Amino acid sequence: MTARRPEGLTASLLIGPATLIVMLSLVLPLAVLARYSLNQYDRKTFMVEAFSPENYLRFFTDPFYTGVLWTTFSIAITTTVLCLILGFPIAYKLARSQSRWKSIGVLLIILPLFIGSTVRALGWMGVLGRGGIVDAAYGALGGEGISLLYTSFAVGLGILSINLPYMILTLQSVIEGIDARLEEAADSLGADAPRRFWHVVLPLALPGIATGGILVFILAMNAYATPFLLGGARFQMMAPMLYREFAVNNNWPFAAAIAFILMLTTLSLTAISGLVIQRRYKAA
Amino acid sequence: MRHHASAGHAGGVIAMRGLIRFLIFVGVALMLIPLLMTAYMSLFADGVVTYPPSGYTLSWYTRLAEFPKFAQSLGTSLRVAAMATLCSLLIGVPASIALVRYSFPGRGALNVLLLSPLTVPGVVIGLGLYVLMVDVEIRTELPLTGSDWVLVLAHLLITTPWVVRLCVANLVQLDRSIEEAAANLGASPIRVLFSVTLPMMRQGIVAAALFAFIVSFENIEMTLFLISPGMITFPISVLQYLEYRFDPLVASVVVVQTAVIAALLLAIDRYVKLSKVV
Repeated sequence: MTARRPEGLTASLLIGPATLIVMLSLVLPLAVLARYSLNQYDRKTFMVEAFSPENYLRFFTDPFYTGVLWTTFSIAITTTVLCLILGFPIAYKLARSQSRWKSIGVLLIILPLFIGSTVRALGWMGVLGRGGIVDAAYGALGGEGISLLYTSFAVGLGILSINLPYMILTLQSVIEGIDARLEEAADSLGADAPRRFWHVVLPLALPGIATGGILVFILAMNAYATPFLLGGARFQMMAPMLYREFAVNNNWPFAAAIAFILMLTTLSLTAISGLVIQRRYKAA
Repeated sequence: MRHHASAGHAGGVIAMRGLIRFLIFVGVALMLIPLLMTAYMSLFADGVVTYPPSGYTLSWYTRLAEFPKFAQSLGTSLRVAAMATLCSLLIGVPASIALVRYSFPGRGALNVLLLSPLTVPGVVIGLGLYVLMVDVEIRTELPLTGSDWVLVLAHLLITTPWVVRLCVANLVQLDRSIEEAAANLGASPIRVLFSVTLPMMRQGIVAAALFAFIVSFENIEMTLFLISPGMITFPISVLQYLEYRFDPLVASVVVVQTAVIAALLLAIDRYVKLSKVV
């Protein structure tokens, strides 16, 4: 017992500063925000001390706001599923590759991560916008000018291309951890490629699929720059709407309520999917 | 390889391979098209981006110096990202050692707490930090708005979880018996830490620093709430520019940024193989 005590002291010295920072800059602001979300908005003084669920009721009774929540959720879930479908083959190829091009491939996946969402949104603006490549190609075929910009398609495409590298890197590291001999064993026992995939690779990669899926889902729910630039003023998602309530309307209590609704929706959805996948994983 | 399939089955396998190739092609195209398109647009001669352009020019690159706002915001971004990376290593590496090498009550809960900023939307953290900052400012009259340290503290919140996550993953793989051997041979715990544990963690620490730098440098969602005039980060200055103008100049700005980052990555890759650590 006495021998344990210095170890506990060392451990708390090691982990203390990080804990303190997270408590100070995450838990404390969220507590203040929770309190603000119960305040009321006033045109002149902006915020009045109160204790009412008014902001939350306003959100859930107005079809505009629930519609924005629904749009955000559907974009997030669609891009997450597409990220999985498009990311898995690339991650698998990279993980099982023995060639010297592998590190270049990984670098090419990492590089877009560094470049930020604005740059990629800018690239898509050039492809999809009026006077962009799609517009010009369509015009050359005899069609009238089209602009795919400011549609849910543009936003989905933008988010997909931003989140794909995160998914690939997560999946690649998990697939690399799967012993290739397991697949060879399944092969020599007569399992064909689809069977090997469904019964060997996929169950073993499930933790990675869960981690990657949750990461990408959170990033999509949270997206700001992509819906802002590719969605324009008419296409609304939660993060730009929250910012507008805060910066343009100066309605901090309502912005705080939106923040909590966004956070709780994201957290509960990721918790549920985490539990479901964990249960399946244990069963498999 | 065994071939015990019928002709129809073989056709299915070929179709399957084709589908997989197609998926890989689409995935790679989705990641590369925006980057290539940005580079291509930076060469357009016209002031507005319309395809096909009337001609090509490199002159946008020579005009970059006329826009000191981008250079200034790039300076802010690099400064904040460097400080956030350094500080998050200072608190995150020890925390990951405590999480992996020590057993103490509440270890699981602390692990969840330290990773939790990754699951909270950035706009929520940003708004929360802003209202807290204003609250503290009113109470103490400290001039917090526009200070580097508010941004660094905020970024610390999103860089530390990455440091902890990558260092924990790295430490779990390292052989503990080497540290035990050093201790048995009479090395003090501090000496074990500095001469054995930390050098062994080198790859994990480099990966952690890299990721910390990325998430800090490219963060928009949280930073948006904490900027002030004269204290704007690079991605936000590009965003603000794009709100009003979409021209080859802004494309050439981000091409330069991309080239610098690519060179940096290649340099780091020579030292530690990125494909092994990330």
